[in-house]
Parts: sequence; C-alpha cells; structure tokens
Amino acid sequence: MRSPLPRRFSRRRFLAHGAAGAGAFATGFAAPAILRAADTWGDLVGRFVYDGPPPERPRLTVDKDVVHCGQYDIRDESLMVADDGGLSNVYVYCRERRLDLCPELEQSADEQALLDNRNCILVPHCLKIWHTEQDLFIRNSEPVAENVAFSPLGDRPANIVLPPPPAEGATATWRFGRPQRVPVPIVCNYHPWEIAYILPLDHPYVDISAADGTFRIEKLPVGRREFQVWQERPGYLITERWPRARFRVDVKPGVNNLGTIRIEPAAFEKG
Amino acid sequence: MARRPTTIETLAIAALALWLGGCGPADPPQFQLNTEGREPDSIGRSQREAILGALDRLYGTPDEPGVPRDVWLDLDRLRVAAGPTFGDEQGRRFGLYRGHCARCHGIGGDGAGPAARLLNPYPRDFRQGIFKYTRTASGAKPVREDLEQTLQFGVPGTAMPSFARLADDDRANLIEYVKYLSLRGETELFLLQVVVDEDEYLPLSRSMVLEDGVLPLAELWEGAADLVVTPPPPPPVATREQWLASVERGRAAYRNEAARCVDCHGPEGQGDGEEEEIHDDWNKPKAGMTASHTRELARRFTLPVQELRPRDFTTGILRSGDRADSLYWLTHIGIKGTPMPAAGPQPGVPGPLTPEEIWHVVHYIRHLAGQGKP
Repeated sequence: MRSPLPRRFSRRRFLAHGAAGAGAFATGFAAPAILRAADTWGDLVGRFVYDGPPPERPRLTVDKDVVHCGQYDIRDESLMVADDGGLSNVYVYCRERRLDLCPELEQSADEQALLDNRNCILVPHCLKIWHTEQDLFIRNSEPVAENVAFSPLGDRPANIVLPPPPAEGATATWRFGRPQRVPVPIVCNYHPWEIAYILPLDHPYVDISAADGTFRIEKLPVGRREFQVWQERPGYLITERWPRARFRVDVKPGVNNLGTIRIEPAAFEKG
Repeated sequence: MARRPTTIETLAIAALALWLGGCGPADPPQFQLNTEGREPDSIGRSQREAILGALDRLYGTPDEPGVPRDVWLDLDRLRVAAGPTFGDEQGRRFGLYRGHCARCHGIGGDGAGPAARLLNPYPRDFRQGIFKYTRTASGAKPVREDLEQTLQFGVPGTAMPSFARLADDDRANLIEYVKYLSLRGETELFLLQVVVDEDEYLPLSRSMVLEDGVLPLAELWEGAADLVVTPPPPPPVATREQWLASVERGRAAYRNEAARCVDCHGPEGQGDGEEEEIHDDWNKPKAGMTASHTRELARRFTLPVQELRPRDFTTGILRSGDRADSLYWLTHIGIKGTPMPAAGPQPGVPGPLTPEEIWHVVHYIRHLAGQGKP
C-alpha cells in the first residue's frame, strides 16, 4: 500500500535545493545540476575483511511455530564472514546531514525498502532506508502470522501483526519520521530468534557491506566528509585506526577507494 | 511533677531532631542523569556535565522548570506543578507533582520513586516518552484526553489511583508537567546517544541539540491529534440475544490464528497462553539470556526486572476499567511499550482484524470480565 502523503519536496530538501538553485542562478542560470555531476560527486568504495578464521554461526533455538519453522536451519546472523574473510552487514554512512543531493540519486531511488518475513527469518538482515524518499514495505511470506516491532529513538515505535497471506494485512507500509544515528533493531515478538536492523537516514549516503565485504556509497558531494561505521555485534565498530568508529575522507570526483579494511576479531568481542 | 530527661535521653532527642531536620535548609532537588542500562562509571565526568548542562539550559530544574525555544509547553502550568508543595494566601496549591506523583514516579519522572520498588507493575518511567494507553495510532504520542483519562480513572489493577478529586485545572497542570518530563527525558536519551555512545566532541553545538534533540520530539506531540483512531459505532447489543451473538463472534475472532490473542492470553482469556517471559520495553533490557546474566545486568538498573503478565480477563479487572471505548482502543491500537500489538487497521497497516471484529472481541472480553451484559 503506497502512502498517500507527498514526499518528493520535503521542507528541508526544498530549502537545500533552494540554496543550490540560488547558486545556479548566480552563475547565469548555467547548466542544470545533473550535467555538473561528474565533477561534483564522487563514490566511496572499500572492502571489509575479518582478520581471522570465519567464526561459527550457532544454530538458534526455534521453539515457536515449530511445525513450520522447525524445518529451517536458522542460524545466528550477527557476524557473517565469507570463506575468504569478506565481512558483510557493516554499515558505513555519512555523519553529516543536510548534504547536497545528486539529482540522479533522487530520480533513481526506489519508492520502498522491502523487509520480508521469509523462511522464519527477517530478510534482509540489515537494511537502510532514505526515509524522506522511501517507505518501508513489510511483507509476510509465511503461512503463520508474524509480528514486526521496532522503537526508533524519538520516532514512532511500531508493533505490527502480519497475518499470513493472502490476507490483506499480510503486508504493511511504514514511514519513518526522522533519521536515526544508529541502526534500529527490528524484532518479532512471536519468534524471538528473528531480528533485523534498519537505518533510516534523510540522505542516501550509506551502504551495508555485501556478502563479499564490499561497499559503495555513490555520488557523494565532493569535499571533506565524516563517516560512521557500525556493526550489530559491537555497535559502533571501534578499531585502533578508528577509536570513535568513524573516519574522514576528502571525497574527490570519481572513485575514492579505501581498499581492504581489515578488522581484528577483538573488535567484535565487546558490547 | 514531670521528670527531667536524663543526659542520654536529651542527647538521643537532639540526635533524632538533627537526623529529621538536618543542619540547615536542604539542597533543592536536582534531576539525576538517566544511567539505566549503563555501567555507572561508563560516563565520563565531562560527558555527564555536558549532558546535564544542556538539559539544565533547556529545561531548568525541578524547582524552576524552563521551556526550550519554540516548544509548546505552558510554563505557567509547569510552575504550578513543579517545585515543593505549598499553598499561597489565595488558597492555590503549588508543587502538585511532588505532592501527588513523585512518591511513585520519582522527582525526575524516572518511575523509581521511593514506593516504586514495592509495586507491580512499576510506575511509568516517563523519560522514554512511551505511554501505554492511548487512542492514537500505533506508536503515536498520547493526546491530552488520554492522559486526562488516566488521571481521572486511574489504572485498575495497578497502584495508579484516580485523581478525579483534583480540580480540572490541577489535572491539566499535572498533564503538562508529565509531558515536560517526557520531552526532557527523550532529549536526555538523545544526548546520551550523542555524547556517550558516539563519544562526540565537546562542547556540543546548541543549535544541533535544539534542532535534532528537542524540536523533532516536540513535533511528535503536536502531531498526535491527527492520529486519533475513531471507533465506528459498536454493533447493537441491547438485547441478550444480540449480546450473546456478538460475544460468540468475538470469541471466534479472538481465537483467529491471524490475531494470535491466544498466544499470550490463553484459549479462555485467562492470561495463560504459551508465551513466557514477556517484558515491556522498560524491563526487556534487564532480562538476560540466563538467570546469571540477568543478575549481572541488574547493577545497571535502578529496579529489578519485572515480568509482564498478560491480562486474565476472567478476574474482572481490566486496565480500561469498565469503559468499552477504552477497551476498544486498547485492542485496536495495542498497548504501547509492550508486546501487545495493534489488531486493527492503521495508516499503512491493515492489521489482522476489522473494526467490527474488534468490537466483537471487546464484547467477548467484557463478557469474560463480567461486564456489559444487557
């Protein structure tokens, strides 16, 4: 269900665009921002690697709806490491707010971010949402009723029942009202092993490392930017190199490659 | 002839007087930093000072409350509710919160007043900004009428009494003060996240605190009125036949597997469902994976963990009292801050039951509780 409220021109973005528009006007109504993209925006890429043998993923206790959920091999997802060390589900996001936005990003953004209840887990385990552009679309693909509950700081908490399809209530749409500084846990009160995370931001400058550990934040405005690093096990991912779990990059046009970022196993032992 | 007290008796009386009265005027009470869930020594001195200083500038003190710029709180009402209890020459009462609420809810609204430890459920900790019983859609703040209802009727089955005897204006003053404590508490949580968790550089930008840690939270309260759920008219139950038919339909909806009422409240509504170790949002962080883990966590919290017991409707005691509309809201919207979810449709969320089915469930629950029979 698509939310009825318009969102394409929120007050904050209108103001941000107003400022950018004034700049364009001052330069003689020159080129639209989209034509200036190549020298105005840069990508940040890198790859997280777990600097140790891949840890075991223990099987989780499945003691509710056992007839259905018991058929799945449900394992802990809090630290996902590929055989070659690729570390997935690490959030990297720009800490600044009210950034210039690349028009291409606005035009290509999906209207929704999808959270699915499938095989008695929440899929994906980690998601991001540009909440001023996107709604969260929640779906139950199971033959049993599911629940999705989350409590973002200073925003409306949700506690939603999703009956099994084909009931109309098997899907739901949620809109976040404000950005968060860290990902918010999503749980199911019926199935205590189910957990996922979502990071609502008011900009698109975030990525979650993929199964091979790589991430790419596209079309960042050039200039000095500060990024936060977060992973669910320790929370803020503090390392010797990043004692505040953040780093600064002077973003230049083109690709800004951080290379391989090795994380010691000890970084995941706290919290 | 009266006996003169002995030296020992005199000293004992003097010591007692000193103990009761102190040596001089007591220090005015201060808001204590919210350290729930944290190791007490995990917050540095400069961090503590930065948070409390920012809160002090924005919200004042328990004796002299303040209102942040551009926030709708009514300072005149706060001044009547705040501070020590006393009456003026015109017979007006001041310090209403300390007189009526602080013993349970604590001076700073932490839900950990002197009596709190003895109560089950614990008094509400206002600082998370979550209120259980509202008529507003999932997750929304309460409207004034919700808080007024709680003060008017109390919460049956808990230690929260009715304050119907207070003047309307005094209840309005207390409601304003509860909103104040709640907003202040949420700003405090924001500051704890920024200053302690993120280890942000100090001093903090005052405009950042206002724009990110105060105004968006205040807007949520302002927007609550737009999210009120209006119940449709209930199905007719004037006759015994209509009543029993509605009760029967309610029983069927209650047992509908999509709604999962039975999971917690049991097949006959006796609060004996299969779900175990249920906690509300205030107690969930206190519950460890094992008993020893819970004991280890306990030092981070003021009050021990308390389990939530799903309501046994057959006791006849409902949190909504005997008000059918309140029970409707509670079923349609759920109970915020608890695992009790919304059963009814809300913006973007169809939910497992229709409003009509919810009315039937309400009648079924009232039937179990011995209420409402025509």
